[in-house]
Amino acid sequence: MLDAGLCRYVLISYGHNALSSDSLFTMLMDFAGDDAVFGHFGATGGYALAARRAMHEFNTGPQTWKHIAVAQRAWANLNPQAVMYDKPMSFDDYLSSKYVVEPLRLPDNCLVNDGGRAVIVATLERARDLKHRPAVILGLGQHNPSVQVTQSGILTGSTGARKACETALSIAGITRDDIDACQIYDCFTYTVELTLQDYGFFEPGEGESWFSGGTTGPGGRMPVNTSGGQLSEAYYMGLTPLSEAAMQIMGRCGDRQLGPATQTKEPNIILVSDNGGILQTHSCCILGRI
Amino acid sequence: MEYTKPLPRINSDNREFWEGCRNHELRFQKCASCGHIRFPASYVCPKCLRKDFQWIVSAGIGKVYTYAVYHVAYHQGFLEDLPYVVAVVELQEGPRLLTNIVGCPPEEVSCEMPVTVVWKDATPDISLPMFRPL
Repeated sequence: MLDAGLCRYVLISYGHNALSSDSLFTMLMDFAGDDAVFGHFGATGGYALAARRAMHEFNTGPQTWKHIAVAQRAWANLNPQAVMYDKPMSFDDYLSSKYVVEPLRLPDNCLVNDGGRAVIVATLERARDLKHRPAVILGLGQHNPSVQVTQSGILTGSTGARKACETALSIAGITRDDIDACQIYDCFTYTVELTLQDYGFFEPGEGESWFSGGTTGPGGRMPVNTSGGQLSEAYYMGLTPLSEAAMQIMGRCGDRQLGPATQTKEPNIILVSDNGGILQTHSCCILGRI
Repeated sequence: MEYTKPLPRINSDNREFWEGCRNHELRFQKCASCGHIRFPASYVCPKCLRKDFQWIVSAGIGKVYTYAVYHVAYHQGFLEDLPYVVAVVELQEGPRLLTNIVGCPPEEVSCEMPVTVVWKDATPDISLPMFRPL
């Protein structure tokens, strides 16, 4: 639409009083349909089924997911806007927290919060004249296997993430090795593991060793969800990862800014993911500096 | 005692399945064209898109594909059951269905565990297929 001159600016916005109203709960209860007959509700249950099957098929579980939850909390502790800004979390804190739907604990779940987020898309020509350096869309990919959880054969991968990422990388003309950081849709810790696994950062079952040692946290070699993400900053659907990627590329992230401030690589290229349903839909976006 | 949990919403697609359950039978559609046995009920076969089918009765034996243990009751009717097990059971005939595993402590459930159907008579008209270790 922008290229065709049909519009000059596109606003992508999200706002929800999910915490102070019952609308999110009502929506998730409606999603349950007849699954409610067996006491199966919401998103946590569906992802718990997926995560449990993954624990059966390859090496994963709390010892992998604790690295994801703790690293993202460390990023949130650098982000004054994060819901969990002043709440540090250790591995012991994670492992001693209560189960919601086992194997998922409370800190494996994204936050429920009020708030909103918005991104404006403009032509590169226009964006060059703006105050901040533009975050340029280098590639996009989408793949939607869209199979309901009981009939799905992809709860443990590969989800739509693999093809979506291949398409986005191909359009951008880059390889995975060119990526400096990732902003991954993190409704649950397991989603982060499975998305990065499907993107090819590690083989199934190698997540625990890949994440350990702070790989994705401040100072890590592959920063992931640098605002704290949906687990520790705030849940704004796909706009949590997308807005953070744009802000990092623009250099507007203060204490959590990628580069020398956090002993990480300069964010020249950031991979962003979005995911819908119970691992049913996936989109991938690559943003970069030019 | 009054049944306090949600009940299935019967429609023209799933009526045969739930009527089977009332008779303690698990009924599934078998495609007359390609032989695929499908669930949930649907107008066309998801494999070959043909319409003709016949109802078959499952032996009610399968294995746990995956499961989750609920430690939170999102509906008051399940409060007394905590912790309870929701599972996807894969039947010998092929279909997978969402159900509960009963008759064994949650910590003894595992993926691939053999199970067999047991019936929970919720109301005079509705019986729910649940599974216990075989």
